[in-house]
Amino acid sequence: MIFEVFARKSRGEPLRHIGNLNAPDAELARVYAFNTYDEERWFDMWVTPREHFVEVFNAERQNGDVR
Amino acid sequence: MARTTTASVELDGAARTATHDLILSLADSKRLLGMRYAEWILGAPELEAGIACASMAQDEWGHARLLYALLKEFDVDVDRVEHGREADEYCNMVALDEAPDDWAGLIAINVLCDGALTVQLEALRASSYVPLRQRVGKLLEEESFHAAHGAAWWRRFASASDASRTALHDAVQARAGDVLAWFGPDGPGARTLIGASVADGAGSTLRERFVEKIAPLLASAGLGDVFTNIEPSFESFEEARRRPHGRAPDRATIQRIRGDRNREFLMD
Repeated sequence: MIFEVFARKSRGEPLRHIGNLNAPDAELARVYAFNTYDEERWFDMWVTPREHFVEVFNAERQNGDVR
Repeated sequence: MARTTTASVELDGAARTATHDLILSLADSKRLLGMRYAEWILGAPELEAGIACASMAQDEWGHARLLYALLKEFDVDVDRVEHGREADEYCNMVALDEAPDDWAGLIAINVLCDGALTVQLEALRASSYVPLRQRVGKLLEEESFHAAHGAAWWRRFASASDASRTALHDAVQARAGDVLAWFGPDGPGARTLIGASVADGAGSTLRERFVEKIAPLLASAGLGDVFTNIEPSFESFEEARRRPHGRAPDRATIQRIRGDRNREFLMD
């Protein structure tokens, strides 16, 4: 399962997408995200399965286009 | 608790020796543990698991360096301790003497050995020996992700298949006795450490804490009774070195850890 990783530098900043990783579940995704992306000093970090994202729109596709 | 002031406590002879021995066993164990993680940077079952091993190896080697540096206060030639000793002088946990030959073995080491080191560090949180106490918090912070890695993989092994469960059982059973023994008998050294408030528990207490801590993981893998059925053996056990006399990590590993080959190319 692909997980997307987000983090922010300081309190109040918007979350920034910093990468993704492969993990079988959220428990390992959490560990892998820390191991892979904790080189910088982050205020907080989050992971979420990519499949949980719901697309609202995409400027390159016209309205009504079917994927 | 009377002695947990910010001023460094002067350790007297016996307490000083016992504290030195404790720090050295922690440092050597962390150095070997770092090596065991590093051996799986390439070859872990997932790219991300390899990265995790790289990260944990770095952490452990960092912890080892920090602990070796503490030995300066004990009039020890730290450079020799780090780079000059032979395999049979090491004071690491016996369960780290040999490289695990499969991933189940590495996960057993992750949970058991790394876990045991954490329990020992936790017993130093309120240590009267201030240089140690000041560093323990930072080490334990990093350890929480090692524990999470071990637990997550352990549960994967426990739930995947009969074969994976068997591999985990074998890996745990092969190391359980040595890990329990590492906490040591409640001998004179341990009593001295408690008397001087350097540590808040001796071997038997730490063993209980350790088994209690990993009980949920043991139960999840159907290994609930493994540790209750094992009596650690202290035959020819050297309390100071926290290992039985006459056993040593293999020389090749120690040569790599010391960086012998790197130093052949040392230029000034």
